[in-house]
This record gives sequence, C-alpha cells and structure tokens, in this order.
Amino acid sequence: MRPKTKKILFVFTTLVFMFFYIPIIILMAFSFNDSKVGTVWTGFTFKWYGSLFSNEAIINSVTNSLIIAVVTTLIATVFGTLAALAIHRYNFPGKQAINFLFYIPVVIPDIIVAVALLALYGWLDVTLGIATVFPGHVAITISYVMLVVIARMAGLDASLEEAAKDLGANEWQTFWKITFPLIFPGVLAGALLAFTISLDEFVISYFTTGPGSDTLPVLVYSMVRLGVSPEINALSTIMVLLIVIMVFATGRKMSVSK
Amino acid sequence: MTSEYMVQLKNITKKFGKDTAVNELNLDVKVGEFLTLLGPSGCGKTTTLRMIAGFEKPTEGEVWIDEKQVAKIEPYKREVNTVFQSYSLFPHMNVFENIAFGLKMKKTGKDEVEERVRNALKLVQLEDYVNRKPKQLSGGQQQRIAIARAIVNNPKVLLLDEPLGALDLKLRKQMQLELKHLQQSLGITFIYVTHDQEEALTMSDRIVVMNEGKIEQVGLPHEIYEKPVSKFVADFIGETNIFECVVSEFKGDYAYLDIKGVTVVTPKNDTLQLDESVYMSIRPEKAKVTLTKTQDTLLSGTFKEKIYVGSITKIIIELPNGREMVVNEVEDDLIGIKSGNEVYVSWQPEDSVVFKG
Repeated sequence: MRPKTKKILFVFTTLVFMFFYIPIIILMAFSFNDSKVGTVWTGFTFKWYGSLFSNEAIINSVTNSLIIAVVTTLIATVFGTLAALAIHRYNFPGKQAINFLFYIPVVIPDIIVAVALLALYGWLDVTLGIATVFPGHVAITISYVMLVVIARMAGLDASLEEAAKDLGANEWQTFWKITFPLIFPGVLAGALLAFTISLDEFVISYFTTGPGSDTLPVLVYSMVRLGVSPEINALSTIMVLLIVIMVFATGRKMSVSK
Repeated sequence: MTSEYMVQLKNITKKFGKDTAVNELNLDVKVGEFLTLLGPSGCGKTTTLRMIAGFEKPTEGEVWIDEKQVAKIEPYKREVNTVFQSYSLFPHMNVFENIAFGLKMKKTGKDEVEERVRNALKLVQLEDYVNRKPKQLSGGQQQRIAIARAIVNNPKVLLLDEPLGALDLKLRKQMQLELKHLQQSLGITFIYVTHDQEEALTMSDRIVVMNEGKIEQVGLPHEIYEKPVSKFVADFIGETNIFECVVSEFKGDYAYLDIKGVTVVTPKNDTLQLDESVYMSIRPEKAKVTLTKTQDTLLSGTFKEKIYVGSITKIIIELPNGREMVVNEVEDDLIGIKSGNEVYVSWQPEDSVVFKG
C-alpha cells in the first residue's frame, strides 16, 4: 500500500470511529456535569447518579424493561432455537414457505407490528399493560435468534450427531452432549441480540404498553420532550458500561467454546 | 457363537424417493473376517454400510447382526461402531473425552474407562495425545483417534466408510497395513467401504464388488482379480484389455474367439456356445510383446508407443482391426523400436478370462 493511501485510510477510519463514539462520550461526560442545562460545563458531580436512583419513575421503567427483555430473550431463544433445529434437520411439506415466513419479521417495519398488535388488542378488548408488550417483542426477536442459530448449524457436520448415536447416545443425549455445545455460540449470540433489541425497542413498546408500565425507552422519550435531563445522561452511561461488559464477557465465552 | 455369520443382509432394498440406492441385496459376512464393499461412487456401498450401522432403515429386507434382526433398531442400540470418512471427532472434546464417549454412554466405571482409553490409544500409538483437541492433530492422527474411539467399545462389527480417503498416498499405504494388522490382532469383524480397488485387494479377506445397487461379484481378492465374472468387474479392478468377440470354433480343450477379424484362443468351458457374443479380458501384465513370431504368438499388431511409469513400461499396440491393446513389460526389451514397426503379442490362453456382458 502506498504511504499516501495508508494515510487517507487512517484519517477516514478515525473519522468513522469519531462519528460513532464522540456523541456517546460527550453524553457520558455531561452525566458528571454540575449544571442542569446540558450544554455548559460548570463542574464535576455525582449528584445525577444519586437522583437517578431515587427517581421512582426511572427505576420502575428500568425494572419493566429488564423484565420484558429477560422474558422475551428466554422465550425467543428457546423457540428460535427449536425452529432453527426443525428447519435445519427435517424435511417437511411447506418448509421453504415456513422458512421464508421467519424472515419477514426481520424486514417488516416495527410500526406495522405495533399498529397490528394494537388493533388486535382493541378487537379482543385487552387492557394494555406490561403483559401486552411481550408478544410484539417475542415476534420480532424470535426470527433473529433463528437466523443466527441456523447460520451456526449450517457449519455443523451432520455426521457428528451420527457418530454420537453410533457410540450409544440416544437422541436426548446426542442433543445435550454434541449438538447443543456446538451450536451454543450461535444460541448465545442470538440471545444477546434478542436481549438488546428488546431492551431498546421503542415503537412496539410505545403502542402496546399501558399506563404506569412504561419501558425505559418510552419513559426517556416522554422525558426528553421537556429537554434532556442529566439523569438520563447518567442512566445512559451506566447502560453503556453494562453493555460493554456484557459484550466482552460473551465474546470471551464464544471464543472459548469454539 | 453358534452361527458362522456376524452380519447377514437379506434381500435389502433402499430407495430414496424414486432412486434405488440398493436393490435386493443379499450378503453374509463371516465372524472375524475383513470384508470390503468395493465399487464406484453411487454404487450403493455406503448406503449398505449405513443400513448396517442403522443410520438408514432399509425400505425392504432384513438386517441381521449376531443373529438378531435389527433393521428397525436405532443405531445407538446396535453393537456396531463406525469410523467415518470425515473422522467426525467431537471438536469440543479432547482426545480422551472423544474416546471415552461410547464407554460413558454405557455407564462404564471411571477406572475402567481410564484403562480402556489408555489401551485404545496404545493400539493406535498415540498415548501422549490425551489432552489434545482434534484440531491440534494431523489428518492421520485424527484418523487413528477415530479408530480408537470405535474399537474401545469392543464392537461386534467395525464399519469403516472410506476412512483413508483424505490421507496422502504414503500415509494411506501405511494405514492400510496397520488397519489390517489391527483387525487380525483384535479379531473383530471389519466391513470396509472403498472405491480404491488396490486398497481393497491389499486389505481384504473377501471383496464384494458392487455396481448400481447390486453385487457384481463376491470373492477372495485373487479371484476378483484373476477371475472376474463380468465386464464391469474386469474393468473396475485393475487395468485390462477387454475385447468384444464371437465364439467361432471349438477345438480340443480350447475355444476360438473372433475379435472382428482377429482370432484368439481361450480355454473351453461348458457355458460357451458357438456363435455366442462374449467378452474376453487379458491383463496387460499377462501378455508379452516380441519383435519376432514365437510359438505362443496369438496376435500381430503395430507398435504405437512406450510409456515408462517406473516399475514397468506400458507398451501400446494397435491391432489390425484398429483396436488398441496395452501390454506391461517389467523389462523393456524393445530397444530402438519405432512407431509403426510390426510386433507380436502372446499370452497363455489360460490367463485370459471370458464372460458374458
């Protein structure tokens, strides 16, 4: 590579990363800003973190979001993995159509899922609340899990399962001792994807949640309409740190099990 | 053991949709023998092996292993083990865990597992590799581990599906002999699938030549090579010259065959009839080329070319009817011969083989 090309590439890459991370870094920095108005730096403080934890609405919405994300992840991971197993292993009539139907939720705009669910709940006369958020979240995340797990299975040598059965393992033992450990990185990646999608999902949550059961993105949206509060900055900082830790941990786990 | 047969296939057929992979096949495998299923790809040999292992259920027919009908029994309940073409070692387990897998499934005690795994590793000469992952082993080592993983269970039958296919030639030759010796020392019945006829001849007690889902011939290696019963077998096993001919005359103990204007002689047998169309095969190494006519000369032709391949020289001769014939000579006596020179070909009539179709 010519020195000039190298230089241009370096500058370009730096700019891309700045574009990614500068807004987040600024947001994190301002979470320690003493001023209530987000734009001027007046001094260092931890007080927003303190008031964050005493803000009941925020704590409540974080709890809601975590409950929804965890339950959604569990359901989507189990059923997404089972669907992937079925599509990968068996041939049945309509397999292509079913496989295709699993891809649709990935590309369909969330707003359509949201409006459709809202219409359904209205028709069924269901009272909106935290329980009505799950179906939408599960519906969009299950496809992601399935896609990731199927990709992992495509690289799996079918004769490994035959070898296990040949050595005396029944279907159940074969799954838990051979198939599952080998597809586990895919299942974990799918679960992580489902968790993050559910956690920051806004549109479906906004439409399908009821009064008093706001998720975090819904609450943040209603709060920032009155201007960005430093408490939100503090909360975002905590979330970014948690997510970075999570990604590192799973990244390590995946490279170990490979 | 009351029966002399370890595996018996009775009239088995396997269809995949409209395709028939194995067609009404019958086969008896003796206790302790090394039997090879040999044939080109798509001949049904692997499907046959998979039906013995239990990975495929026959569409029709019976599979007997050690006097039990197992056609509908799941693979994990059969007392057979398989060595796969792709080795199929479990990538997330080390060598010890791989080999111990079968024993653990049978709930074998910890000390016994330890001892039997060590012994199996000793047999394949890889004692120092217990803690390696399959990825850290060479192809040949992985193959040995795959063999150890199968034999550690003391199977009644060991099934081997082209286990040496991925190894280089030299290692393959070495492993052929090792496998043969292993089979002899363990006394386990081996059923071996290959498309490599040389491998089959080297290792087997008996060879089953398959083509299009059917058995063409079953026999000892030398029978398969020396006395093929069909054009397919003669053609598939080794190199040969096959001529289409018509039985033209019987004289004494010999039959005269007409190969489009050229007459050759072969020992008479009871099934040959006058004016019948048959095939005659003569192996290149059984024939001899001379520059002068001798009393054994059967054919004359013109010399086309010599190909030196190391241990032998291949001589290609064009016969008067336009057909080519290959003769292998260990020593090249045809010094200074030029293309177009007249040469004479001879062989012992007893070395030729005649079959119908």
